[in-house]
Amino acid sequence: MRLSVVVTGVVLAAVGSSVAMVAHQVGLFDGPAKTKMYVVYSAEAQDVAAGKRSVLELRFRVVNGFHVNSHTPKSELLIPTTIALQPAAGVKTEAAVYPAGMAYSLSASPSEKLDVYTGDFTVKLPVVAEAGAHTIDGTLKYQACDHAACYPPRSLPVQVMFTAK
Amino acid sequence: MVVGIALLLWAGWHNLRERRLAMQKAQESRVVLTPSQGDQGDQSDSDEPHLRGKAAPAFTLTTLDGKKVSLSDYKGRAVLVNFWATWCGPCKIEMPWFEEFEKQYAAQGFEILGVADDVDAGKDAIAKVAQKTGVTYPILLADGKVEKAYGGIDVLPMSFYVDRNGVVVEQTAGLGSKDEIEAHIKKALASGATATATAAGGQ
Repeated sequence: MRLSVVVTGVVLAAVGSSVAMVAHQVGLFDGPAKTKMYVVYSAEAQDVAAGKRSVLELRFRVVNGFHVNSHTPKSELLIPTTIALQPAAGVKTEAAVYPAGMAYSLSASPSEKLDVYTGDFTVKLPVVAEAGAHTIDGTLKYQACDHAACYPPRSLPVQVMFTAK
Repeated sequence: MVVGIALLLWAGWHNLRERRLAMQKAQESRVVLTPSQGDQGDQSDSDEPHLRGKAAPAFTLTTLDGKKVSLSDYKGRAVLVNFWATWCGPCKIEMPWFEEFEKQYAAQGFEILGVADDVDAGKDAIAKVAQKTGVTYPILLADGKVEKAYGGIDVLPMSFYVDRNGVVVEQTAGLGSKDEIEAHIKKALASGATATATAAGGQ
C-alpha cells in the first residue's frame, strides 16, 4: 500500500513535471497575456564570413501534436507561415528560403490535402554582413491546427544573432 | 552491552526518522489531479470559460448581405451558434453536416447561426466558403465583442447549443463526430421543450 502511494507519487510528479516542461516550451515567448504558442524558436548564435554571402539558419519546432501551414499552402484561404525581418545595420538580407511542407490530411476529410510543417523546420536566410556582432529582429507568423481544431494566427518574435568574422 | 543496546536504539530511531522523511517527501511529490468543473468529455482547453448552464450572451451581428440578426430573434427555438473561420479545415468539414441537420430538425424548431470569426478574410472569401460547403443558414460577421462574450474563442470550430429558453445546454470546441453533433441538437431541442412544458403546466 505504502509502496503504491510512493510509486503513484513519483509517477504523478513525473507527469506533472513533464506537463510543466511542455508548458514552458510552449510559453517560451509568451507575453503577459499568456498567449499560447504552438511554435518555438531555437535561438543559436551563428558565425558567418564577413563581407561574403552566407546563409543563416533559423530553426523552429512545431509543438508535438500540432501542425502549421507551410509557406505555400494549397489554398489561398489558408494562412501561410511567413517571416518578416526588420532591417539591421551592416546587414543585407535576401528573401528567406522556406522548406517544402509535407502532405497532410484530416482523417475526416482524407481527400483534401494540406501542405504543412510538423516537428522541426528550418528557414534559411541569405545575408551579407559587415564584420562584427549583429542581431536581426523579426516575427514568424503562422496558424496552427491539430487533428480536430484550429487556433487563431499567432506571431512569434524572433531574434537572429550572429557574428561576421 | 550497554553500548550495543544504545547503538541498536539509535539505529532504530535513525531508521524511523529516515522513513518519516521519505514519506514526507513522497507526500510532497504527490500531485492530485482533479477534473475541471463539468468539462468531462469536452475537447476545449481547460482554461476555456464554460457557458454550459448559463444564458447565451445576447448579440446583434450583420449577415453577409448586410441584415442585422440578433440571437433574441430566435427566442423559443433551439439555436446552434457556431464560430468558424475560412482558414479552419475542421470547421469546413462539419458545416455541411450542420446544414443537413438544420433541414432535418427545422420542423422541431432548430436553427443555426454561423459566426465567421475572421472578418479580415473579407466578405467575398467568407461567402465563397459558405457556398462551397453548401451552407444556407445565416452567416454572421463577428464584431470582436461577440467572441469576448462567448469566452474568447481561442479554438475553432467552437459551438454553443442554446435551448428554447436561451440557455447554453452544450459547448464544444473542435470537430466532433456527426453523432455527437446530432445528440447535442436533440439535447437543445429537448431541454427547451421540457422547460416550456413545465412552465406551461405550472400556469
